[in-house]
Amino acid sequence: MTLVDDFALLEKHGFKLLPYRLAKTGDEAAKAAKAIGYPVAMKIVSPDIEHKTDVGGVKVNIKSEDVLRLAFRDITQSANGKRIEGVLIQKMARKGVELIIGGKKDPQFGHMIVLGLGGIYVEIFRDISARICPLTAADVEEMVSELKVHPLLEGARGKKPINKKSLETLVLRACAFMLEEDILEMDLNPVVFDEVGCDIVDARFSR
Amino acid sequence: MKKIVQNLKSVFSPRTVAIVGASATANKIGNVLLRNFIDGKFPGKVYPVNPKYQEIAGLKCYPSVSSIPGKVDCVIVATPAETVPDIVDDCAKKNAGGVIILSGGFEEVKRYDLAERIKKTAETSGMPVIGPNCLGVFNPYTKVDSIFLPMYKLERPRAGGIAFITQSGAVGSTVLDLAAYYGLGVSKFISYGNSTVLDEADYLEYLMNDKETDIIILYIEGAKDGRKLLEAMKKVNKVKPIIALKAGRGAGGQAAARSHTGNIAGSYLAYQAAFKQAKVTEAEGITEVFDFVKIFHQPKPKGNRIAVITNGGGVGVLTADCIESEGLALAEFSEETKKIIAKILPSYGNVANPLDLVADAGVEAYGKAIDAMMADPGIDALLIIILTQTPPIDERIIHVMTKASDERTKPIATISIGGTYTEAYRKILESKGVPSYNSPNAAVKAMGKLIIYSRYCEQLKKAK
Repeated sequence: MTLVDDFALLEKHGFKLLPYRLAKTGDEAAKAAKAIGYPVAMKIVSPDIEHKTDVGGVKVNIKSEDVLRLAFRDITQSANGKRIEGVLIQKMARKGVELIIGGKKDPQFGHMIVLGLGGIYVEIFRDISARICPLTAADVEEMVSELKVHPLLEGARGKKPINKKSLETLVLRACAFMLEEDILEMDLNPVVFDEVGCDIVDARFSR
Repeated sequence: MKKIVQNLKSVFSPRTVAIVGASATANKIGNVLLRNFIDGKFPGKVYPVNPKYQEIAGLKCYPSVSSIPGKVDCVIVATPAETVPDIVDDCAKKNAGGVIILSGGFEEVKRYDLAERIKKTAETSGMPVIGPNCLGVFNPYTKVDSIFLPMYKLERPRAGGIAFITQSGAVGSTVLDLAAYYGLGVSKFISYGNSTVLDEADYLEYLMNDKETDIIILYIEGAKDGRKLLEAMKKVNKVKPIIALKAGRGAGGQAAARSHTGNIAGSYLAYQAAFKQAKVTEAEGITEVFDFVKIFHQPKPKGNRIAVITNGGGVGVLTADCIESEGLALAEFSEETKKIIAKILPSYGNVANPLDLVADAGVEAYGKAIDAMMADPGIDALLIIILTQTPPIDERIIHVMTKASDERTKPIATISIGGTYTEAYRKILESKGVPSYNSPNAAVKAMGKLIIYSRYCEQLKKAK
């Protein structure tokens, strides 16, 4: 299973993802970006690479074809001999608060959902809250209020509060997905929220 | 399983008890058990069972449970593991009410075969089995006591409303000893060990309908069935508050986790989630268990507005700090309350919350201030700081606090910081049912938990 397979299964379960295409060559990448519309993000797709950012396999905010072609070369070189299926060209996400919506099948309690401050520092800040599936809307509300990042979601420092309804919908959908597909571990991370809605930037799961 | 749970009544309230493995040798487990029933003044009949003796401590000794004439309600087994399955079979044949197996040597040493036999017998006969590998049961109301730790070493608490469900015998016995020390009353003590037949969820269900129990303490290392536990906690906590203590709380996820979530979501996170979903109050250690239990006997507050009374300004400020950091509110006094307080205070006193009665304050000042605050609709709960070191405070303060607590208008907790002399006051207050703490942090945190649980009960009422 690679990123593209994961994305396809998520879409089948009703998750709305940012427009994306898989490109195997620089030309394909340029064509994809043009169709999606700049700016775009580029991500290496490889069954051998767990943390794409760590190997230099992710470039964001690419605004022109020239830069895109250079970035394509850099990314494919970053694979360093590992198997690669191509580069994912994805529309740049909105700006906002980055959260993680995670899932895990606990040996004792079964499927559970974790909500927390997202991005690449999830393990460092450990600002998380968890509930056992199935969840209710009230559970999601409680989880949000338990986070340290909570004030930011309510609109700190002149920012507008995030769209809570889209968060609730996404968490409940993630919960249903975990149960239906019997997922062992899942990361939707980061998911970027603003006052209008949210974008799922990256996703991974194992069954 | 439901029937087995209901049948537990014969174990907790038996008229006849058989002790298998009874011994005439002092300090042997089989002797301590017998002593528990003789010295503990068990009102029913006790039958020692041991083929080696004709008589122990003046009681006729039987070779087996089935050789005892008449009904046997509760059988306590303390013989080597190998012998236990046959004894359990014999109990089932005798139609005994229930069995407590204290002996170890089953699942914990991989003797699943022995455990499986016990389970089978229990399930086919509907006879409840507690343990094995545990301390069993203590019920101060009926004087059933299978705790094989001598009474002079481990004090038994008085009868009251707190039930303990504990996986570990070691933690359970220390908690019991502490409950006795603090003067807290216990309804049932259940140390369930390997949970071969009945597990923590079953005991929760039983205690939900137990008239003598009004608060349940659950000490858990690893649940047998997490889902079943979650459902039982949800159901029972709506009726009686559960205070849970989980051992093995390390945050570590699996080393082989492939995702961020796998890394951060260790097994304790799942327990935490379950406690939150069931609205169970989680304690972070044995001390906190007692901090919380004490206050859960108080009436439920209607909100989070707290009045603080003190005879020392500094401790009042420390308490106010804790109130803020726990997310609680300092109450605003009504005009009526302010008028009354102004009359109590010396000319240099200040009508404010925290209310500093100053070190000159006598017992009467406390009484008047408390009465005013109990009548003030803007106040939900009272934290009363009593620095016993000041000259005017004497034993009459106990009466004032007991009265305030017994009236059950609003929850109160007292805070007294100090050494041996102060501790004596705290212990007397606690034995009278007045929660007493040696730090503002502990008192405020406990009050916060009571407020959260009360809010939950209020929501349940409204939803009906």
